Amino acid sequence: MHTTVLLILILPLALAAFNGLMGLFVPAYRKNEWLIGGLGTLAVAIPFVLTVKLFLGFHGEAEVVHFFTWMAAGDLQIEFAYRIDQLSLVMTLVVTGVGALIHLYSIGYMHGDSGYWRFFAYLNLFIFAMLNLVLAENLLVLFLGWEGVGLCSYLLIGFWYTDLKNSAAANKAFIVNRIGDFAFLLAMFVIFAVVTGKTDGAFGLDFTTLLAPETLGLFGAGTLLAVALLFFVGATGKSAQIPLFVWLPDAMAGPTPVSALIHAATMVTSGLYLLARLSPMVLMAPTAMTIIAIVGALTAIMAATIAITQNDIKRVLAYSTVSQLGYMFLAAGVGAYFVAIFHVMTHAFFKACLFLGSGSVIHGMHEVEHELEHKGFLGSHGKSEEEDPLMAVELPYEGKFDAQDMRTMGGLKRFMPLTRWTFLIATLAIAGIPPLAGFFSKDEILFKAFELGYNGHVWSYFVWIIGLVTAVLTAIYMTRAYLLTFEGTPRWPDAMDTKPHESPWTMTVPLVVLAALSVVGGFVGLPAVLGGSEIHHFLVHDGHGPVAEPHHEFHVPVAIEWGLLFLGLAIAAGGVLFAWFVIRWGSRGPEADTSVKRFFGPLYGTFSRKYSVDEIYQKWVVNPVVNSARKIFAPFDESAVDGAVNGVAKLVQGIALRLRGIQTGVVQHYALALVLGVVVVLALMLLG
Amino acid sequence: MYDFLLPDMGATAPILLVALIGVVLVVVDSFSNDSASIPWLSGAVLVAAITIELARVGVTDSAFMGHVMSGGFASFVNVVILLGALGSVILSVPYLSRTGHNFGEVHALILIATAGMMVLANAGSLITLFVGLETMSICLYVLTGLVRDNERANESALKYFLLGAFSTGFFLYGIALLYGATGTMMLSDMPAALVETGRTGFFAGGVALLLIGFFFKVSAVPFHMWTPDVYQGAPTTLAGFMSTASKTAAFAALILVLGRILPLDDVGLDTRHVLAIVAAITMVVGNVLALAQRNIKRMLAYSSIAHAGYILTGLAAGALGYAGALYYLLAYTVMNIGAFGVMSVLEWDGKQGAEQTIDSLAGIGSRKPLLGVAMGVFMFALSGFPPLAGFFGKYFVFAAAVDAGLTWLALIGVLASVVSAYYYLRVLVAFWMKKPEDAHVSVQSAAFDVPLFSKVVLVACVAALIALGIVPGFITEAAGAFFVTPEATALLP
Amino acid sequence: MLETFLFFLFAIVAVVGALGMLIARNPVSSALWMIMTLFSIACLYITLNAEFIGVIQVLVYAGAIMVLFLFVIMLLNLESMPSLGDLDWRKVVAFALGIAVLAQLLVVISLKLDVMPEPVAIAEAADATSATNIGIALLTEHSFSLEIIGVLLLAATVGAVMLAKKRFV
Repeated sequence: MHTTVLLILILPLALAAFNGLMGLFVPAYRKNEWLIGGLGTLAVAIPFVLTVKLFLGFHGEAEVVHFFTWMAAGDLQIEFAYRIDQLSLVMTLVVTGVGALIHLYSIGYMHGDSGYWRFFAYLNLFIFAMLNLVLAENLLVLFLGWEGVGLCSYLLIGFWYTDLKNSAAANKAFIVNRIGDFAFLLAMFVIFAVVTGKTDGAFGLDFTTLLAPETLGLFGAGTLLAVALLFFVGATGKSAQIPLFVWLPDAMAGPTPVSALIHAATMVTSGLYLLARLSPMVLMAPTAMTIIAIVGALTAIMAATIAITQNDIKRVLAYSTVSQLGYMFLAAGVGAYFVAIFHVMTHAFFKACLFLGSGSVIHGMHEVEHELEHKGFLGSHGKSEEEDPLMAVELPYEGKFDAQDMRTMGGLKRFMPLTRWTFLIATLAIAGIPPLAGFFSKDEILFKAFELGYNGHVWSYFVWIIGLVTAVLTAIYMTRAYLLTFEGTPRWPDAMDTKPHESPWTMTVPLVVLAALSVVGGFVGLPAVLGGSEIHHFLVHDGHGPVAEPHHEFHVPVAIEWGLLFLGLAIAAGGVLFAWFVIRWGSRGPEADTSVKRFFGPLYGTFSRKYSVDEIYQKWVVNPVVNSARKIFAPFDESAVDGAVNGVAKLVQGIALRLRGIQTGVVQHYALALVLGVVVVLALMLLG
Repeated sequence: MYDFLLPDMGATAPILLVALIGVVLVVVDSFSNDSASIPWLSGAVLVAAITIELARVGVTDSAFMGHVMSGGFASFVNVVILLGALGSVILSVPYLSRTGHNFGEVHALILIATAGMMVLANAGSLITLFVGLETMSICLYVLTGLVRDNERANESALKYFLLGAFSTGFFLYGIALLYGATGTMMLSDMPAALVETGRTGFFAGGVALLLIGFFFKVSAVPFHMWTPDVYQGAPTTLAGFMSTASKTAAFAALILVLGRILPLDDVGLDTRHVLAIVAAITMVVGNVLALAQRNIKRMLAYSSIAHAGYILTGLAAGALGYAGALYYLLAYTVMNIGAFGVMSVLEWDGKQGAEQTIDSLAGIGSRKPLLGVAMGVFMFALSGFPPLAGFFGKYFVFAAAVDAGLTWLALIGVLASVVSAYYYLRVLVAFWMKKPEDAHVSVQSAAFDVPLFSKVVLVACVAALIALGIVPGFITEAAGAFFVTPEATALLP
Repeated sequence: MLETFLFFLFAIVAVVGALGMLIARNPVSSALWMIMTLFSIACLYITLNAEFIGVIQVLVYAGAIMVLFLFVIMLLNLESMPSLGDLDWRKVVAFALGIAVLAQLLVVISLKLDVMPEPVAIAEAADATSATNIGIALLTEHSFSLEIIGVLLLAATVGAVMLAKKRFV
């Protein structure tokens, strides 16, 4: 057990270090793409195999593996320890399994990139951090992983840093995440302050002690609410929920495998994992639960409405991810943590498949781009500078070409059959068509919301209705994305002679595997009327498992349950059919958007402007802080104003001038501030 | 009658040794001007002093009738100070050679300043406290103005001197009031003497003035105004020295003062609110102003102000936070020596580097991967990113603050740290995510190489930050042992 | 009674001298005002039975340091100092802050000194501040500080020479 866990953790780290250092200091090594990629993939595939072994040998009792004492200071004793239980096993399987597939995919996708070694080093480092996060036995080790995945996400979003927009997106992601991280940190401090000294022995923020009923009893209701909300704020940062979701769509600047791995399948679900891990605690703060559910529902519908207006294929998927994450928080908020984890799993399958499919499409479209450039169809600028928010349907690609813009695609099913079929399966899965994976997890979420409402929490009906509406929207915008990309006729210039090709096997094999998982993945969580949920049994384990759930007094009658099942089916199928045969994005192409535009009227503008959230943050948060630093505080720092003196002559002159000025003035200002401090400190001491 | 002198000299051997070699270097320099052996000598004595102190961390003792502490807490702090000095000396040699200022006197002054810092940090009485403070300060004033042909250096040295003298006046007045209130100079005798005399108000005035002197030295807001000018004007490696070793010394002395004369519950005196308020203002102003800087040395200066705020947060939490503050000081010393070290290497032509702005550093990372990676580690450590050492520093002081009921202060600190991520990250963006072509041509025209010794120091700093982050246990245990119980705090080594 | 009278007399002279130093615009007269202050302080020490410290005060401050001041003034040929100029808000604030600090310190030493110290017998006080006893204290109890002060003075000298020497320009 000890060795296995160590190997699972250390392999990705070791190969990240190896690839990173070799690449950094041995330029000749950078050329060996197969070696780098192969090592990188093995560093995740082997841990996957080991995790499967652990999983098969698991007997239902949580085990804690200690490595060493990380720190001990007074009452605080933090162990470097990992926890093997149902929850961490499921998450580790997803992380290493999907991770290994995406590494394999990257071998082909990143072919020829000058930063190939860097990419695999970062990706392996990410896996290491993510494993720390899901396997951690205490909050601090979890936080270590939490920050680590943030760092890797930052590095990978800004991977193609030569484009300024990408590094801006990376910074945005990092800083927004820091806000969430610090809420996490505060929550830990509060827990530490409450629990320390009141348990047997030293307290190490470990889950075993923390989640024991007697420890939870130490918390007052107010403190519990504060802690739960602080963790939730932390989760909103990492998992892109209102109000901190703005970074995720921009994060699509990174390479597509990154979007699939980090920004769809694993990292963004860590907020959910955190809540599920702490579910016994969060369940005791019902107000926090309500807030979580409502925020999740609002995020789900908000992102879905934005997704329907986007033309960049990756952005559609990004908003769809935000929306699906909203679903998961909705599930967590109504107390169905195990369903949230179930949806994390199925979502990892179909969303990774969709992202990798889109990557395959982009790969093909780049081919088209190069060919067109070669033939002289394109201007000197290959990419469109700025996306037009209100989408000019007429000739969006005049003189420019954006390989990610769905308006330039169309009819790709003829050229990329494998990509098309897998994309279609994943689309139907996310839309919620039975018996694909998405149907079961989504249906269970909606059912749990309904069940809570049935038990007297009326707000839960509201959440349920939002969930239903979002389900329709999801089916519509995903079908739209599929149709615009693969159906109809090609819309790029010179489409008769310029043809993309199917991607290499390293890219299509992961697609096929993930599509297969999207088909069968849902059967571990069948609804009660169809025989009951395996994953529920596994995770909750009759109240002995790691995931807690609330007790419901009333059971929803079986008839209603069947009714809800068919309602879900009808909504999903209705959405898909509506998009396919009524709006007809396939045959009409981007023009079909006008029907949607007409339906929503002025609201459509709001959607496509993404509710102006970025602008609002810029105006009300970022600008005031930066401006106050520059302007209001400038008198405290005389050099901030004229500090940027250029040129030696000007410099000497300026300093000479200032030197005079300083002797008669500035030092005295400094002294003035000092005396002010003296007065204040003396007064505080004498009065206090 | 006076036979205690010899063993006492043994107990304070590291201080005396460093001071002695400082004097010897002046003599050596006068016979063989700027001899190459001088840096070696000063490096050797620092290593020797570190070795002695490391061997004595476990024993707590005092010397010269209680005027000087030795072993235990004192040894721990001395090791941090000496490490800062050693790093600075090694980095200074190539840096000062390149700028043509590698004089023997510089090393003598660094050693004497180091001795002064150790005296300050090991003080058992108000007299040694003051002597140490002055020895340290006078040497630092001179070192700031070292580059005489640079007006900025002259200007900043003058400012530092004037304001330093001004604040020393308050410090001295505070000492006089404390003596007046208690009739003793010994820190450990003060609480009892105060209870006897009952002059609490008088004492409070003295404490306030003493605190003001410390606030100036650790550059807490609003006593911080000199810091950016001085760090920018001083030779870069020496700015690193000032920002680490002298701060460590001042904070250690502050802990001594707070820990030994202020557990005054019986007379109803409390400094916590003062420390907490100053800490809050310092964190906010330091971080916000750092945001507005484009010159990296000024940015680092404001960052060091902000870090002083974090450490003050730990001190405001009382005995709980002292161990955290000690750990923080060690981590902070390592990361700041490193950050200033990288900046010093980038001043390869002696002049332009002092004007290094964010823009002029574009693409250094890809040209010099070692510098890029090292700077990355230092910036992440400074911004408090786990598992690097900087994170645990922050963790300990904030956790102590929450535990002491100062949740609002921890909240401010945590929010201030969010802001700090932005400006630290900006340096990395310049290092790694911009192309060299974006830089000012005049600044980056010369090809330059990184001296071997600088590489060694930078790599050592990186390794130390990672090691301190992965196994912080042995430091926190050592530091925690100094402050286990209130009784132990009262008898602070 | 006489001691008290002399104490307050010299105290007032010291304050007047300090004010005169600030107000005088001619550097030489400023320096002379300062000598007056320093002398009065020396007298204060003597009225407090600290003859040794009083003598040292005269020797070091009124003697050595003031001579140095006058040398510098003459070498630099300082004609007169700039006049104080017009009032602006900064000066007003500075003045107000100065008054505030003064008031606070006065509060500390007048109101807060709730328990007055016991008067010390003259002989005892004279004995404690005699040259012999100060010398013994310096070389025993304070020998460490003495050593460090020696190094400090060396460092100050070296630093001054270093900053003033020609080769650096």
